[in-house]
Amino acid sequence: RRSHESKREEKEGGNTEIKARIPQRKKDIRRKRREVFGEDEWSKAEKSCNGKRKRDWKTSHKEQKEAKNREKQIQRKKEKQLKKHSSSPSISNSSDNEFIAEEEMAHIMEQVEEKKKVIATIRNKPWPMMKKLEVLREAQAFVEKFEGALGKGKGKKFYAYKMMMNKKWIKFKRDFDNFKTQCIPWEMKIKEIESHFGSSVASYFIFLRWMYGVNLVLFGLIFGLVIIPEILMGMPYGSIPRKTVPRAEEEKAMDFSVLWDFEGYIKYSALFYGYYNNQRTIGWLKYRLPMAYFMVGVSVFGYSLMVVIRSMASNAQENTGEGNGDNFTFSFKMFTSWDYLIGNTETADNKYASITTSFKESIVDEQESNKEENIHLTRFLRVLANFLIICCLCGSGYLIYFVVKRSQEFSKMQNVSWYERNEVEIVMSLLGMFCPPLFETIAALENYHPRIGLKWQLGRIFALFLGNLYTFLLALMDDVHLKLSNEEAIKNITHWTLFNYYNASMWNESVTRPPLHPADVPRGSCWETTVGIEFVRLTVSDILVTFITILLGDFLRACFVRFMNYCWCWDLEAGFPSYSEFDISGNVLGLIFNQGMIWMGSFYAPGLVGINVLRLLTSMYFQCWAVMSSNVPHERVFKASKSNNFYMGLLLLVLFLSLLPVAYTIMSLPPSFDCGPFSGKNRMYDVIQETIENDFPAFVSKIFGYIANPGLIIPAILLMALAIYYLNSVSKGLARANTQLRKKIQALREAEKINKSNKASAAMKSLQDTNNFKNTNQLQATEEGKLCWNSPLTPLQF
Amino acid sequence: MRKCSVYSLNSLLTFNQYVLNAYYGQDMALLKALEELHRLSREDFQRIPELAINPLGDRIINAFFPEGEDQVNFRGFMRTLAHFRPIEDNEKSKDVNGPEPLNSRSNKLHFAFRLYDLDKDDKISRDELLQVLRMMVGVNISDEQLGSIADRTIQEADQDGDSAISFTEFVKVLEKVDVEQKMSIRFLH
Repeated sequence: RRSHESKREEKEGGNTEIKARIPQRKKDIRRKRREVFGEDEWSKAEKSCNGKRKRDWKTSHKEQKEAKNREKQIQRKKEKQLKKHSSSPSISNSSDNEFIAEEEMAHIMEQVEEKKKVIATIRNKPWPMMKKLEVLREAQAFVEKFEGALGKGKGKKFYAYKMMMNKKWIKFKRDFDNFKTQCIPWEMKIKEIESHFGSSVASYFIFLRWMYGVNLVLFGLIFGLVIIPEILMGMPYGSIPRKTVPRAEEEKAMDFSVLWDFEGYIKYSALFYGYYNNQRTIGWLKYRLPMAYFMVGVSVFGYSLMVVIRSMASNAQENTGEGNGDNFTFSFKMFTSWDYLIGNTETADNKYASITTSFKESIVDEQESNKEENIHLTRFLRVLANFLIICCLCGSGYLIYFVVKRSQEFSKMQNVSWYERNEVEIVMSLLGMFCPPLFETIAALENYHPRIGLKWQLGRIFALFLGNLYTFLLALMDDVHLKLSNEEAIKNITHWTLFNYYNASMWNESVTRPPLHPADVPRGSCWETTVGIEFVRLTVSDILVTFITILLGDFLRACFVRFMNYCWCWDLEAGFPSYSEFDISGNVLGLIFNQGMIWMGSFYAPGLVGINVLRLLTSMYFQCWAVMSSNVPHERVFKASKSNNFYMGLLLLVLFLSLLPVAYTIMSLPPSFDCGPFSGKNRMYDVIQETIENDFPAFVSKIFGYIANPGLIIPAILLMALAIYYLNSVSKGLARANTQLRKKIQALREAEKINKSNKASAAMKSLQDTNNFKNTNQLQATEEGKLCWNSPLTPLQF
Repeated sequence: MRKCSVYSLNSLLTFNQYVLNAYYGQDMALLKALEELHRLSREDFQRIPELAINPLGDRIINAFFPEGEDQVNFRGFMRTLAHFRPIEDNEKSKDVNGPEPLNSRSNKLHFAFRLYDLDKDDKISRDELLQVLRMMVGVNISDEQLGSIADRTIQEADQDGDSAISFTEFVKVLEKVDVEQKMSIRFLH
């Protein structure tokens, strides 16, 4: 009885852990448990039976039988205890009694919390397995039973329902999070590359994967809202002049060479601007295609801008989390880097490689921080290097300008040779091939940390490629203006042709004249489609050049070095040419500029984004393979900067640069008169005006009229500028407070350390003194013999 | 002595159940060896893949075997595994005057320390660090760089200037690591 009552007290005090110091037989444990929870089982026996049965399907049959036996014994005990403890507070059945006293509620809540804690910490207890399983099951049953009982009165069932939904929701969120993590593509590939090549190379692939995601969304937008409606609901091929291949081009329209140049049937398809009809609504859904086309074009830029800035902001937030300031970098790597749970040999190989790489990175960091700097010499060298590079850039810029001017003169001449026709492209390719290595050699003067050196290199090549962009755009704009100026003439020709056709003398009879076949109608030169074709051609040739460079430059070189090494005079692997290293800056910039081209061209060639998605997908697999098979890690492996913000910054810059030409053409150039969704309008943005007037109620157009007033827009812009200034100063203040707090924490830690070491040294000193004293005492004792008793001196006396 | 043996028997028996559960899934051969011969040899341990590919695997196996012997009986096996028992909060206040339990933080760290300290002089010297580095990293880093890593490690951790890492210094290095959590085997299904 004593143990029984003590168990009851424990339960009432909230402590339900069964402390079994001596291993008990299972029956004893079960009996004690029954006694403790007798009252609860007694009233909720049925519900608990059900709950237990649900969990029993997991356990073995034997345990199920035991559970059933237990239930029978519980029933028997129930009746016994009914007679004994009639006076004790009864936790009544929910179906019988809807009233629960206040203290009871609090008591139950306490117990429920207790049980939840037990469930959470059960793994850490050093108990035998059987005991753990039983305690867990009881606790779960208890929680399930009584959590529902905590609601009051009629709200009880609702409360129980709410709790259950809450739990299910948490479980669903957790499963969904797990699922999302599993869905991240190429994670294993990138981890493998990271362990072998370091985090800087892996950062390129992570950037590539992010880019693929953005392009996928853009593709979904364009494809779903523009191309699919046109294909499904628009007029089919051949019905109107803009959708038909002209008669003159018809025989050659299917030739591969023509298709490769994106002329022929491809030009007159939904992939390009010119195919779309300017009908206001199409199909039975009354889908407003021109409006959709315009809005999708704008939202492509809007979405890209939003995603880039959001990514930059979240990277910046990660950075302001506290830096460790740990002074044990090497010790940590030494003692704690192996993962003891690895059982797979491949994973173990990766882990070896990543430990090696991480040591190398730390060595580089150490070396950089220990370098002795002769400040003046370094500064002079850096200024010299920058001066040289700026000279190079100016020289190349002038060269490009000169060559472009010459090509404009050439285009007016007849009989131009092949070289003169392609001079611009040749000069651009040569510059692109030779300038980056030149910049790298000059940059060796600067002696920067490799991470910073990479950023400088990226910036310089970026400036070089801007020249590239400039020439391309210039050429394009010239072409467009030429076409526009010819439009008037062609318009007249078209009208006259149609007029003559319908008024020709041979059509005097009253036979209805068949309309002119669309292929025979004279066409205007559709400048938008031409622009789109130029961008698509550029992208395709870029893809080809990249792939061929990798194949030849990396793979064939690696094969040559590997196999020719046996029969070559000098060691190919150690000397020239050896295996190539992965060119991070070149690849990153290539990716960024490619994306800039896509942004510029997607308004005029909706199919371009699809091509880019395919390109990024194949590029991922291809480059992963090429890196692992033909490249070696860098000599000095360095850790990538914690955030990708540098790449994002460049991307943002390119986004703005690519927005400008598109915005300019939309705002100031008139659309072609016979092709595209905006044909016939004065400006492309007139479609918005038209939609507002015709499709919205009258007051909306009035509102827009007021909003578009400059008198309203300029104050709005001023307000936004003020808000930016305010938020900026708030964030600066918070950052300052942050650093001050960090300094305080550091000072506190130092003070603690000093205190501890003082105490330790004081304790050591007292210990030493005691020892000395003891020693002298013992010496005395031995010297003086038995009379001098060895007094039990303790350190407390000092 | 009696108290110690009762306590250790206690902890050993407490471990009885779930260690057998733990290894049940992993290696039937190990279990058989345990049951039939009641002795384990080094080859039995090397059959566990996680130990086989661990660079410190041999040393961990050595930690099970007492000095100079090639076989370990069940008691010795349990004694070593007892280091990995989770620390229960209530136990902290129990036995202040008795011997420290095998799974205290200090003893766990001591177990880890003994993995590195081969000659058992209570110090991790530069040579011992070099040996560990060579096992972890192999030939991918040059010897001089390995030497400088070892020197730097000692420089970071050493406080009393004896060019070796003593146990107290080792504890200091790992003071921020949650050893109680990480060096415990927590079981439930």
